[in-house]
Amino acid sequence: MPTYAALIYEAKPALRDPRTPDFASYMQRYSEFSQIAGSAIVGGAALMNEDTATTVEVRNGKGGAVVLHDGPYVEAKEMLGGFFLIDAPDLHAAIELAAQIPSAWDGGRVEVRPTLAM
Amino acid sequence: VSEALPFPAGVDEILRREWPKVVATLVRLTGSVDRAEDACADAVVEAVTRWPTIGIPERPGAWLTTVARRKALDVIRRESGRAERERAALLEAEVDAAIEHHTVRDDTLRLIFTCCHPALAADAHVPLALRLLCGLTTVEIAAALMADEATVGKRITRAKAKIAATGLGARIPPDRELPDRLSSVLDTVSIMLATGHHAPGPSLQRVELAHEALRLAELLVELMPDEPECVGLLALALSTVARMPGRVDGYGALVVLDDVDRSQWDRSMIDRAVELTHIALRRGRPGRYQLQAAISCLHAVAPDVAGTDWAQIVTLYDALLALAPSPAVVVNRAVAIARRDGPHAGLAALSDAPQQWVRTLLVRGELLVRSGVVADGVAALRSALAATSSPIEQAHLMRRITQLSTAPP
Repeated sequence: MPTYAALIYEAKPALRDPRTPDFASYMQRYSEFSQIAGSAIVGGAALMNEDTATTVEVRNGKGGAVVLHDGPYVEAKEMLGGFFLIDAPDLHAAIELAAQIPSAWDGGRVEVRPTLAM
Repeated sequence: VSEALPFPAGVDEILRREWPKVVATLVRLTGSVDRAEDACADAVVEAVTRWPTIGIPERPGAWLTTVARRKALDVIRRESGRAERERAALLEAEVDAAIEHHTVRDDTLRLIFTCCHPALAADAHVPLALRLLCGLTTVEIAAALMADEATVGKRITRAKAKIAATGLGARIPPDRELPDRLSSVLDTVSIMLATGHHAPGPSLQRVELAHEALRLAELLVELMPDEPECVGLLALALSTVARMPGRVDGYGALVVLDDVDRSQWDRSMIDRAVELTHIALRRGRPGRYQLQAAISCLHAVAPDVAGTDWAQIVTLYDALLALAPSPAVVVNRAVAIARRDGPHAGLAALSDAPQQWVRTLLVRGELLVRSGVVADGVAALRSALAATSSPIEQAHLMRRITQLSTAPP
């Protein structure tokens, strides 16, 4: 069965802060999704907020000077908050599942892409 | 019965010198920048309270570290988490180890490299260094950098949060990474020095900021005595700070180089800068800070503008241009060429500089005046006046333009 990556772009990263009152319901929505998806989820991770991101670039080819940049590579309104790896029979099934990821229906977006078999 | 002695002289200096080392050790022991700062502040309060009675300890740094560690331990014991109790155990276990010289050295280096880490936003480096290595408050940092207090606070908070989340303060870079990482440390101190020397605000110089840069340069040489660029930066800081008196007159106005009263310069600092520059250059690994120090020293030892070794200054700028080109180097080199070969040669050398930059306009204006094309010179100075936001430069340019416009032909 092909594997798809569902890249999760969050519209409201603040929800992910455990100190906010909405955090519990945010987590609850994701755990509901995990139950729905069940064994279709074969991997993934939640990412820390963009504030913690470091972008790496090596100038002048391999082994060249390592240039670091504080922050994400792409500055967007939505934040890349994490990703799932989903096993699905085809793109339609993958989209159906992706549509149930909470961030897809609470103002954010989910990008679905087939993975290359390596 | 102990009687309160007069407050010992030099305590302030000792506290400031020891501050970064004590903070550095506490950051490692507590795992938290905030907690380390609190504990060190408490230790300083205790020092100020008790030293007048007990005298200055033989090893003030060790005394402060011991007190700060105890203060941190008190705080951590009051908290109940398991991770916190492990921290407490670490703080208790390390009785004398933290006071060993090599440990202090490693802790301090780690903190310096953390403050200037390229993964942190570049505009956070100087505020973070002023905060953690110099012990300045956010209010003082905002004043020193002529920046908004809320902005400075936000930068520091963000940087601290990233340090905590990513653990990037956990190690000293290995030797192979040192050249890259060291350059961001040197750049931070050099920005601090340059901002103190030529401040953007209502006063031309921010002497205290330049002194903080000098203090950090001393610390870097103490920690990395074999790095010629560290020595070069210290020499540059010394000869810059030594020449700060006399750059402004009694009314805060800019004094041009030709009119500076050089007897106000600090000769002992200049002597040390010259000696350090020689020591660094003799290692045969020249770098931008050693070259800048050499140029600064040539100015510092000259009796006056006419007696300055402009030929050698041009040679040094040539080397600097090849090694670390920047608009400032191009413009300053043009000034030196003009002094050596006359205003026309200087104007020609200026053609590589960004033409609408204040410094370029200012220098072009003065060189045109000197070459006899006064009207064009005044026009360039007027453009400089329109382009600068520094009140000091505005006042200087207005005076100069008036003077040139009313002078007999």
